[in-house]
Amino acid sequence: MKIRAITLNNLRRFTDPARVDHIADGLNVLSEPNEHGKSTLFDALQALFFKPHGSRDKDVTSLRPHAGGAPEVTVEVETDEGRFTLAKRWLQKPAATVHRDGTLVAQSDEAEAWISRLLGGDAGGPSGLIWVRQGMTDLTAGTKKEQDAALEARRDLMTSVGAEVEAMTGGRRMDAALARCREELGLYATGTGRPRANGPWKEAQDRVEALRRESDALTATARDLHDALADRKRARRDLRELEAPEAAEARRMRLDSARQAFDAAERHARELEAETRKVEMAQLKADSARTALDTLRDTLKEQAEASRLVAEAETRATEAKAALEAQRAARDAADTAVTETKAALETAERDEKLALRAKAAREGADRRKELTERIARAEQARKAKEEAAAMRTGPDAATLRRIEGLAAAHATAIATRNATATQVIARYDAGRDGLIRDGTTPLQDGQELPLTRATRLTIEGIGALEVRPGEAGDDQSVEAAAEALRKALAQAGVEDLDAARAAAAARAEAEKLHDQADLVLNSLAPDGIDALRAALASIPALDDATDAPDPEVAEAALAKARTAHDDARLARETANERLSDLRDVASHAEATLTSLRDRVKRAEEALARAGAPSEDALAEDHRAAIEALEMARARHAETSRTAPDLAAAKAALDRATSVEQQARDEIARLKPLLARLDERIQRSSGEAVEERLEEVKQELEAATATLAGIEHEVAVLIRLEKALETARNESRERYFEPIAKELKPLLHLLWPEAELTWGEESLLPDRLLRGGQDEPIDILSGGTQEQIALLVRLAFARMLAASGRVAPVILDDALVYTDDDRIERMFDALHRQAGDLQIIVLTCRQRAFRELGGKALRLETSSEGTVSD
Amino acid sequence: MAFRFIHASDLHIGRKFANIPQPQDGNIRGRLMEARHGAIGRLATAARDTGAQHVLLAGDTFDTATPSPTVIRQALAAMGDAAEVTWWILPGNHDNLRDAEPLWETIARDAPGNVMALTEAVPRDMDPTAVLLPCPVAFRAGASDPTEPLVTMASNEGQLRIGLAHGGVTDFTESGAAIAPDRDRSARLDYLALGDWHGRMAVSERVHYCGAPEQDRFKHGRRGVCLAVAIDGPGAPPQVEEVETGAFLWSEIDLPLHPRQDAAAALTAILPETGRRDVLLRVVASGRAGLPDMVDLQRAADRAAPEFAHFELRTSGLGTHYETADLDEIDRGGALRLAANALMQDAEADALSETDRDVAADALARLYSYVREAAQ
Repeated sequence: MKIRAITLNNLRRFTDPARVDHIADGLNVLSEPNEHGKSTLFDALQALFFKPHGSRDKDVTSLRPHAGGAPEVTVEVETDEGRFTLAKRWLQKPAATVHRDGTLVAQSDEAEAWISRLLGGDAGGPSGLIWVRQGMTDLTAGTKKEQDAALEARRDLMTSVGAEVEAMTGGRRMDAALARCREELGLYATGTGRPRANGPWKEAQDRVEALRRESDALTATARDLHDALADRKRARRDLRELEAPEAAEARRMRLDSARQAFDAAERHARELEAETRKVEMAQLKADSARTALDTLRDTLKEQAEASRLVAEAETRATEAKAALEAQRAARDAADTAVTETKAALETAERDEKLALRAKAAREGADRRKELTERIARAEQARKAKEEAAAMRTGPDAATLRRIEGLAAAHATAIATRNATATQVIARYDAGRDGLIRDGTTPLQDGQELPLTRATRLTIEGIGALEVRPGEAGDDQSVEAAAEALRKALAQAGVEDLDAARAAAAARAEAEKLHDQADLVLNSLAPDGIDALRAALASIPALDDATDAPDPEVAEAALAKARTAHDDARLARETANERLSDLRDVASHAEATLTSLRDRVKRAEEALARAGAPSEDALAEDHRAAIEALEMARARHAETSRTAPDLAAAKAALDRATSVEQQARDEIARLKPLLARLDERIQRSSGEAVEERLEEVKQELEAATATLAGIEHEVAVLIRLEKALETARNESRERYFEPIAKELKPLLHLLWPEAELTWGEESLLPDRLLRGGQDEPIDILSGGTQEQIALLVRLAFARMLAASGRVAPVILDDALVYTDDDRIERMFDALHRQAGDLQIIVLTCRQRAFRELGGKALRLETSSEGTVSD
Repeated sequence: MAFRFIHASDLHIGRKFANIPQPQDGNIRGRLMEARHGAIGRLATAARDTGAQHVLLAGDTFDTATPSPTVIRQALAAMGDAAEVTWWILPGNHDNLRDAEPLWETIARDAPGNVMALTEAVPRDMDPTAVLLPCPVAFRAGASDPTEPLVTMASNEGQLRIGLAHGGVTDFTESGAAIAPDRDRSARLDYLALGDWHGRMAVSERVHYCGAPEQDRFKHGRRGVCLAVAIDGPGAPPQVEEVETGAFLWSEIDLPLHPRQDAAAALTAILPETGRRDVLLRVVASGRAGLPDMVDLQRAADRAAPEFAHFELRTSGLGTHYETADLDEIDRGGALRLAANALMQDAEADALSETDRDVAADALARLYSYVREAAQ
């Protein structure tokens, strides 16, 4: 079926007939702004195809215009059998008709049946499947009824191309088996396949673990028991051996004999020690005798030597003293010579200075005179300069020029004012001169009196004449100029302009005088008078030393005296050095002598201390001591040769003692050890460790078997669950294969490699897999959802077409959230599908859909244009 | 007049049987323990019945080296009660001399007068006509033939030489600790009483294992016995008679199955009719069975099990035979059938490990049972 034209009448806003015509195969686009009736068009189609003409339900009544009337819809469709015109009218005079080429084919219920057949008999039909109402951007929107109808339509379609979903996926039997399997598995394991807490699996594991631990503990205890048994056996044997009487006797005898041997050895060692002491004593004695003898001999030799040296030193000391005395005299003579030459030198120096001064005084006398005069003249000039400076008062030239300017301005101001002011000129009759007065001043005849303000003129004998000049005349400039002039004069300290001029001339004269005096002073004393006075003071005055020597003679005498003085000083220094050397020699000789005398004294004292034994007696003592030493040594050697080995005796004794001690310790250790072991063995065997261990081992074996059984059971259940799930998924995929096949190329226009999984209940995609991500459809963005919804519908349309039930796809603003990039690809999808389908797109997005292409439709009303048929 | 005695061994008194599953309200373990203690009394009865004055216990009288005082005292008391019999107790590997030293000390100290502990390898006169040559076990695991000293043990002329030893005659571990099977000849024995094997076995005319008087495993398939031995004189062949002493029967029965056989009926057919309370039974199914048969077999086993002292059905050796009809019962098509096919494929895949195959097979059986339960 393909729709070719749609006509509406009395439908909502279309009170006049409106028509969409020339609907082509493939893609058709009706692009109109909002409120132009696109949704009405959609509803009209819905009504025509699905609302019986007798219906008065709210869908139908909602079609009626405000003005009332019977809604009418006429659709021209083309089927394999030809072109038919379907028309319906509701509410008033309801009717349904099917015409073919103007011939009535069916009407009323027959027409409804015809239409139903045309749609393939199913109730929801293409509406739910492939018609998208405005605003229904996802797959599951709409009323409950619409949803059910859509589901039914999908189920019908899917079943028509495949098998029953129930048959494919196992349905409730599969669910029951899976639920049962999971329930049983749930007893043992958690969802992740781990043992469930408090479940039998976990319990079996715990039991095995606990038994293993217990078994280990018991094994350890049993081992301890066995060890204790072995230890006890060993301890008993050892104790028996140690406590055997013959062994104890042997140990005691060995100890006794070792002790005796050791005692003997120790005695001998003490004797040897005594002999050693004796040898040492004899050695000491011999050494001491030898020392005494040697000391005596040395002292005697020292005494002789020191005495000889003293004699020599005495001679040398005497000689040195004599030389010293001689030199001291020589030095004193040199001192005297120095004193004398120094006096001579001082005299010569004085004479020379005197001579030089006299010479300078003679040379400076003229200059002194000249300077003195210059000073007097300079003083005169300075005085004149000071007097002139005192006279230098009165205005200077600039001030005078300013005063003159101001006076001129004043005069000008008066003249100006008088020229513009009201003027009164008295012309007296003869003899009446001066009868008119301004105040007390009479007006001169023929003389203009300018009046700058109201003036009262007294006319004698007549009265007063008041003259009031115009207000504009008085500008105060005269007063201002007068005031400026007065201020300037006051500043200059003069009465008037003439006085100012006189004062200025006096000032100029004084300044001239001052400058002249200054010039004189400067020429006389460029650096000031004080400089002249200082120069004068620096010239020595010629005093009374008129007998001063001749400078040259004085200078020669000075040189001579200086040479003599230098020579004398040198001689004195040489003498001093020599004296010092000789003094050192003398004191050294004295010191040597003193020390040698001490030596002699010490030797004599030593001899006195020795009590003066003879050298022979001492030598005899020494020989006797040597003999005694030899004897002691011989005795010591003999004792030493016969000594037994003390260390060996001690070692033997130690060993015997230690053996005995060890035996005693061992017995002391073994007895309590045995008691402990007895106690331990008693306890352990009383506790029936082995019996218990045997039991635990058996329990462990059983528990392990139980655990293995449970693990097998869990493995079986997991394997079964997996098999069931895998099979169900596989069959589900197989069931959805036809639609998936249709959808795949469309989907890949938007997302290459993307896939959809299908809900078994809803028969709709429920998850989108793309880029390794698995997202439920309902969390995707609005745009993505509407795109998927549209693509799915296109795919369903293809399936419908494939099953011989071609129906137009009608999309009423199905893409509202889609961005520009995606919309391009959606357009591609539409074009791709439009090849063998009829797609009618209603949209208000005129600009966006301009790029869609396809056949453009117009909704024309009779008021706008001709309604063609 | 012939010399008569009872030859027994491996009483393993004190064994706990913790490996036998016990229901919450059951006491099978206690019963099994009690049966071991009761063996003393049954041996005494056997001695009386056969006119024997001696009971030779060839080792492992006690299960462990350190039985609890209760176990020891009650056993000794039971022997003391049979006052007309002399008990000759030989240390075995379980109650060997080293580990069980306290045990043997206790026995030496506290045993009644008619109980003789044979803790040393020296000849003991049983009466003027017979000498007992004991070979006590010193360690849990020995490294030499424990009967070697028998060769050099002296006896008076004309006395019966009766050897008593504990150990195997087959050297399983190649440790050299096996008893020479011809020891009776090398040691000039009239009889060699051996212990250690829990099953009855005659090694030769004069060398015998009596087996445990009370069985403790499924291996031997009969109740325990002791041997009543009579020897007319030195050199005369011993007359050995088995006397049944076992209270419990430990039995393992094979159940070979094939497809299209009523497995439940086959199981019922092999079960003993009476005395089930004293029977510990293990049924080992083998062959192949279909999925429904498996379910039926398990149900039949579950029905029968509570009547026995212990019952277990082992199906690890039973292969599953898959029939299209059985799989159709799961589903003729669709996902359930897909799952069943996948599991069957895995169960029969040679590439998978045996564990994985078993898991897959059991998973399929489980699926089958779910579907069948849901259908019923």
